[in-house]
Amino acid sequence: MNLEATPTGSASLTVRDLRAGYGDVRVLWDVSLEIEPGEVVALVGSNGAGKSTLLGALSGIVSVESGSILFGDVELAGAATDRIVHAGVVQVPQGRRLFGGLSVRENLLMGAYLRTDREVHADLERCLALLPRLRERYEFPAGRLSGGEQQQVAIARALMARPKLLLIDEMSLGLAPVLVDQLLGILAQIHAQGVTILMVEQDVQTALEFAGRAYVLETGRIVKSGPAAELLDDPSIKRAYLGI
Amino acid sequence: MAGGILAVAALGFSLVWGILNIINLAHGTFIMLGAYITWQLFTSFHLDPFLSVPIAFAIMYGFGYVLQRGLINQVVRAPILATFLLTFGLSLLLVNLALIVWTGDTRAVSPAYSGANFTVAGVTVPWTKLATLGAALLITALMHVWLVRSKLGRAIRAMAMDVGAAQLAGVRVAHVYAVTFGLGAGLAGAAGALLSLSYSLNPSMGEPFLIKSFVVCVLGGLGSVQGALVGGLVYGIVESFASQLDVTVLGQHLSGSGLQDVIALVVLLVVLVARPTGIMGRAAA
Repeated sequence: MNLEATPTGSASLTVRDLRAGYGDVRVLWDVSLEIEPGEVVALVGSNGAGKSTLLGALSGIVSVESGSILFGDVELAGAATDRIVHAGVVQVPQGRRLFGGLSVRENLLMGAYLRTDREVHADLERCLALLPRLRERYEFPAGRLSGGEQQQVAIARALMARPKLLLIDEMSLGLAPVLVDQLLGILAQIHAQGVTILMVEQDVQTALEFAGRAYVLETGRIVKSGPAAELLDDPSIKRAYLGI
Repeated sequence: MAGGILAVAALGFSLVWGILNIINLAHGTFIMLGAYITWQLFTSFHLDPFLSVPIAFAIMYGFGYVLQRGLINQVVRAPILATFLLTFGLSLLLVNLALIVWTGDTRAVSPAYSGANFTVAGVTVPWTKLATLGAALLITALMHVWLVRSKLGRAIRAMAMDVGAAQLAGVRVAHVYAVTFGLGAGLAGAAGALLSLSYSLNPSMGEPFLIKSFVVCVLGGLGSVQGALVGGLVYGIVESFASQLDVTVLGQHLSGSGLQDVIALVVLLVVLVARPTGIMGRAAA
C-alpha cells in the first residue's frame, strides 16, 4: 500500500481464454483481458453477466476450466486462494463480507493473516490515517457499523494484505451517492500509492468516470473494451447501460 | 467439581459444532480415549494423572487433526444426517477397538493421594477434586486467551462468521477446520484425563458425557468459551444438588442419583424456554 513496497511495473495481469463456472454450468466463455501495472480498469456489465464470477476465478474461489491467469510470471489459474493473496491479488468481496462479530481492528488483522513481517502494526496505522473514521470505530464489532463504514473496513482489510492488484466487487452497492464519492476518493489515494485496481460495477456511469480503461462483459463474454472515456460516449453503451 | 470437567468437554464439542457445523457423536468416545490414555500412562509408567492431561490433549489433538483431514472433511458441507452417520459409526468403531485393547473390565486411576482431603467450615473437600476443578478452569482460560489473542484463534472465530471471506483473506480453510477438530478432540482428551481421577473407566463410559456436552453447549450458548464454562458449571452444580435429594413421587421412592439427569434436563428446558439462545448466547446475528 505504499509506493516503496510495491514498485510499479512489477506485475501485469494477463487473462487468456478463460473458461470458468460452477460445476457443469459454464459462466465465462474465453475471456481475455490485460491490466498493466498502475492502471485502474473497470469491468462493467448487467446482472448475471459473469463479473463476480470472473473476480472469483481470479481469486481462486471459482474453479477454472481452462485458460490462463498470469500475474507477473505467476500462473494463478487453479491456484489456491492463499497463494493468490500471497502473490498480491486481493479481493474486496461484494456485500463487504466482514466478520461481523470481530472488532474493526480484528477484521484488519484478518486481512494481514498471511503476513509474517513486522510491519503489520505500521500498516494498521497507515490504514487508520487513510480512513480516520475507522479510528473512532476501532474496537467496535464490525457488524454494528453503517454501510459506508463497513465498506471502508472491507477496503482496509484488503489493504492489510499489501495488494499489488486490488479487485473490488460492487463497491457502490446499497450506498448513497455521497458515500460512493467518498469511497472513490479513497480509492484514488490508494491508486496514487501504486496499487493497480480492477473494479467491477453495476453502476456503469460511476465506473467509467473513475477508471482509465474498461471491459464490457455480456453473458460471459467480453464484448467491448477501450478507454473508459470512449466507452462513455459509445452510443450502444449509452443505450444499454446509461439509459440515455 | 464435575462442572469444570464438563466445561472442558463441552468447549471442545461446542467448537466443532459452532465452526464446522458438525455435531460430533464420537465426542464421548474421545473423552473415553483420553481417560484410557491416562490410565495406560499411570499403569505402565506411574505417570501422575495431572501430568497426563497435556499428553492426552496432544495425542487426541493429533488424532483429531488427522481424522478431520482424512475423513471428516468429506462431510463438512454435507447434510447433517451424513455427519451423524459418520461420527456415530466412528464412535462404534472406537469403542469396540477399546474393548479389544483394554477389555471391558472396569479400571480406575488411583494415585497415592487420591483419598487425601481437608475440611473447611465443616465441609470435607477432597484435594483431587479441587485440583481437578482448578485444572479445568485453567484449560478453559488458556483456550479463551488463545482464541482471542492468537492469529489462528482469530481465524477460527472469523471462519465461524464467514468462511468465504476468511478464505479470501488467505486462510487455508481445510487446515483450520482440521485444527479446530483437533482442538475439539484434544479438549475431550483432557476432559477424559481429568475424569479418570474421579470416575471408573470402561469403554462405553463416554456416552453420558456426549449427552452432557450437548446439554451444556445448548445451556450455555453455542460456540462461545464463556457459554461452555457457565453452562458446564451450572450443569455441574444442578447435578450435584439433585443428587442430594431424596423424594417419593406417586409412591415411587427416588434417590438423588436417579434424579440428577431428570432435574438437569428440566433446567435445560426451562433455560431454553426463557432464553432460547442459551445463558451466554446472543441472538443470531
